[in-house]
Amino acid sequence: MASRAIIRSTQSQLAASVKCSAVAKPLGSAAVFDQKRYASNFYTTDNTYKVPDFSHYLKKGKGDDTSRVYSYFMIGSLGLLSAAGAKATVQDFLSNMSASADVLALAKVEVDLSSIPEGKNVIIKWRGKPVFIRHRTSHEIAEANAVNVASLRDPQNDADRVKKPEWLIMLGVCTHLGCVPIGESGEFGGWFCPCHGSHYDISGRIRKGPAPLNLEIPEYEFSAEDKLTIG
Amino acid sequence: MAISSVIYNTIFRRNSIFVGTVLAGAFAFEIAFDSTVDKYWDARNIGKQWKDIKYKYVEKDEE
Amino acid sequence: MVNRLSGSPLFKRLASSAAVSKSTRNAVLATVATGGLAAWYVNLYGNPIKAVTLAEHGLHPGEYPWSHKGWLDTFDHQSLRRGFQVYREVCAACHSLNLVAWRTLVGVTHTSDEVRAMAEEAEYDNEPNDEGEIEKRPGKLSDYIPAPYANEQAARAANSGALPPDLSLIVKARHGACDYIFSLLTGYPDDPPAGATVASGLNYNPYFPGGGIAMGRVLFDGLVEYEDGTPATTSQMAKDVTTFLNWAAEPEHDVRKKTGLKVLIITGSLWALSLWVKRFKWTPVKTRRIVYKPPKL
Repeated sequence: MASRAIIRSTQSQLAASVKCSAVAKPLGSAAVFDQKRYASNFYTTDNTYKVPDFSHYLKKGKGDDTSRVYSYFMIGSLGLLSAAGAKATVQDFLSNMSASADVLALAKVEVDLSSIPEGKNVIIKWRGKPVFIRHRTSHEIAEANAVNVASLRDPQNDADRVKKPEWLIMLGVCTHLGCVPIGESGEFGGWFCPCHGSHYDISGRIRKGPAPLNLEIPEYEFSAEDKLTIG
Repeated sequence: MAISSVIYNTIFRRNSIFVGTVLAGAFAFEIAFDSTVDKYWDARNIGKQWKDIKYKYVEKDEE
Repeated sequence: MVNRLSGSPLFKRLASSAAVSKSTRNAVLATVATGGLAAWYVNLYGNPIKAVTLAEHGLHPGEYPWSHKGWLDTFDHQSLRRGFQVYREVCAACHSLNLVAWRTLVGVTHTSDEVRAMAEEAEYDNEPNDEGEIEKRPGKLSDYIPAPYANEQAARAANSGALPPDLSLIVKARHGACDYIFSLLTGYPDDPPAGATVASGLNYNPYFPGGGIAMGRVLFDGLVEYEDGTPATTSQMAKDVTTFLNWAAEPEHDVRKKTGLKVLIITGSLWALSLWVKRFKWTPVKTRRIVYKPPKL
């Protein structure tokens, strides 16, 4: 019905004002129709310039601090949760950069020390580098402690280089140019690097030759009585 | 009235203190939230997680 | 009919270029062209050929109440431990678990010492020694669980041409996941139903697409002896090993669900708070009234 009426009204080529009057009619304003002006649902004859009374909508207790404490609390909570979430997100992204579990599992090497007799060297591989493990005799420990530390090129006490005096654990890489020194040789009873003739003593300290530093000590710990974990 | 005024005057009046409280609260909230959820999680899945059955196998090793 | 159509206002407006703007006509033409292209595309590619019979598709597994099924449910680790025992004593004869390292079992199903002992039972290639030869060494925690066959060819040769799939991700890799694996393991009938044809060397299993599977029934009551005293029925073993394989495919499962819970709580609260703040900020904007006072002339 309604669409028919519109079609008919279009066919009869009435002006748009007629269509609008159909809308405006329920408001029952004959004067609007006569003036042929666009009518609106919001048309009112009331005085527009009088501001209505909005006090009904005003917050109760506007004067005291309760309502603004509430508002600040809500906004603060939004900030608090956002900050906590942002922190967790950043933390997760950063922790992605650290070594993964399979790399960490390979980064540690366990050595059974009970199979190494006193006065023997063992070389194991750790992260692609050789590691010297020396089961030192009490004579060798005394020898390492007898050295005047002040006279060394890289002064270091023997006690600072070992966790247990009978076990000396060092990276087997010459600090000069990275050759692998030979054990139980050299002028000081320790290690000797054949490449450029650096002599290390029984504590792995540089005594003679071009190397600038003592042999490096890796991170290690004794996980059990005779179990060594390097890394 | 009194309590809200005290809160307003101590925390919200100065923006620097407000922001500082929010940031410090974020850290405290994270710790509290994590431990609360963990506690609920463990209570909900009690007996199913490894930590609930671990004692059976750790003791065996010590014998 | 034609008269009425041509008399309709829409037709008239479209027909007379004066009454309708160029952009409106272009919009109508573009809509028609787009709709036509879409219809043509659906007609061409919209109906892929599908497997038609249930037998070809494989019987759909039932839905089982897994202990880790809910949004907030972790794996039952006691079941994981039993499931690993089943894998080790039964499945490992043919199936590899290439993506699972021994170390991942620590703190999930076994203690560190137990896993160490199991790893040491297996032999692995050592690094080349001073002569360049490769010796064997006992396994370490960082090693992966050894495979039963050296390579795919060896596996096929030992199983009359069929390749036992690697089980690391099998739960993720099959439709129906846990339900399917469980149904398959427990779904071997004593005899194939009448009318079912099974090629020689294959076994009938209605859950396997096509019905003929190279793997025979392997789980029988009492096949393994559980250390915790659980009766080792067929379905118990199937349930345990399926749970274990689900862990192998999703070792992050427990942490993922816990993190999901935390994320939902936080984002839900943020959503509610942001709605409140939106209202707070917009209330004065939406309720204000603009009053125009004309200047007095």
